[in-house]
Amino acid sequence: MRVTADRELCVGSGACEMLAPDVFEVSDDGVVHVLQDRPDDEESVRQAAQQCPTRALTVTD
Amino acid sequence: MSVEAPIPPAEVDLATVDLSDREWWVRPPAERHAALDRLRAERPFAFFAEPEIPGIPSGPGYHAVTRYADLEAISSQPAVFCSGKGAVSMQDVPAELHEFYGSLISMDDPRHAKIRRIVSKTFTPRMLERTLDSVRTIVDDVLARARATAEANDGVIDVVADIAAPIPLRVICDMMGVPEADRPGVLANSNIILSGGDPELIENDDPLTAFLTAGMEMAALMERLAGERLADPRDDLTTALVRSEVDGERLSHQEIASFFILLLVAGNETTRNAISQGLLALSEWPQERARWAADPSLDRTGVEEVVRWVSPVTWMRRTATQDGEVGGHRFTAGEKFLLFYNAANRDPEVFADPQRFDVGRDPNPHVGFGSKGPHFCLGAHLARRELQVTFRAIFDQLPDLEVTGPPHRLASSFVNGLKRLPARLGGTR
Ligand code: SF4
Repeated sequence: MRVTADRELCVGSGACEMLAPDVFEVSDDGVVHVLQDRPDDEESVRQAAQQCPTRALTVTD
Repeated sequence: MSVEAPIPPAEVDLATVDLSDREWWVRPPAERHAALDRLRAERPFAFFAEPEIPGIPSGPGYHAVTRYADLEAISSQPAVFCSGKGAVSMQDVPAELHEFYGSLISMDDPRHAKIRRIVSKTFTPRMLERTLDSVRTIVDDVLARARATAEANDGVIDVVADIAAPIPLRVICDMMGVPEADRPGVLANSNIILSGGDPELIENDDPLTAFLTAGMEMAALMERLAGERLADPRDDLTTALVRSEVDGERLSHQEIASFFILLLVAGNETTRNAISQGLLALSEWPQERARWAADPSLDRTGVEEVVRWVSPVTWMRRTATQDGEVGGHRFTAGEKFLLFYNAANRDPEVFADPQRFDVGRDPNPHVGFGSKGPHFCLGAHLARRELQVTFRAIFDQLPDLEVTGPPHRLASSFVNGLKRLPARLGGTR
């Protein structure tokens, strides 16, 4: 599984970071950074992508 | 003990339901949810007239969106359903009020995106993590004072005044560096701004003047603080905000003032009502309370369930910018939609057994912080952590807390609030 973030869409809500803190981090520029683009914890990452309010996260298999 | 029967009444007569009538919102939650259930099932875009507020012209009325899927569809198309005509009032906002209350919430792109970016740089989870230690100190101190109040008062406390109100007020004022002397004024003004015109909180009969005065006082305080921090930077959110820039642009003083009002009001009352009504829910569902109290690994899901259950902000408004169709409903430009988060949060299409309070519910895609789209709550992360710390500290430090009720509800359609919630600390003699 692979996850990417559209940093133009991200509004920095931190919802993804709450669900998968090892994979996502909203850094000091106020936008998400993907720390592992091939994450192990697939279930949390899928939930994060689903709950991201601006659909900024894309998961591909 | 049971303060309010959690079982919905069998019959609700929809003819008596007026979502614009703030007195309807003080009815018991079970009755309100039974009505919202029927609206969702039978009239998912029910039309209501706007209420009369002296001094504010009322418009053509609005559709009450109660299905989760429709709410998400509207929220995620901000170009079709805009916020700029007003997101927090049924009426279009009079120009005078827009100055103070026309912040991010009632703004559209591209302006919204730019300002949100400037602000969210100062509001990242990591930034907030640094304030968590002070959150813990504040919570411990507030709970110790509640204990002292009970000891001086035959064990009696008011959950709202003694626990739920002071915690978020102190957290947000600390983060922003609001001096101690200004805090009572901040609490009083944020009460007025979110009173929904509840007569107990607005002294004269003129809500418009009261809203304006409260806004002006808050703006004056913030302009003063912003000026002080520009000259003399400190390690607080105010300093970060006055210095934050995107593409070389900073917030104007007026933008800072209206953002501060948003932050104080939104950061205060919503968290307060989640704490007070979370405690009320836990008293109505004692097994859930015992289960959560015994297991800190439920702090995350427990707080999410409190936010779903309480839905501290009842609705936000959107206004159609063009003709179209959503969820089988044809609409024309200018039509208003109220997104009833409390109704979507109990939609049986999305939540199994939605009228059950379940502190382990997971996944829990509630819309208590807003639905899909760029207006999702900026303070969600702060609120979540603050609530997690608060509930855990209450389980540890006030295990004898017993709600004695009854709750005194705020007469507001917009904020699901409690004015008072009597309780006892039984361990106190
Ligand atoms: S959930 Fe979405 S909007 Fe929020 S920080 Fe993550 S990517 Fe950005």
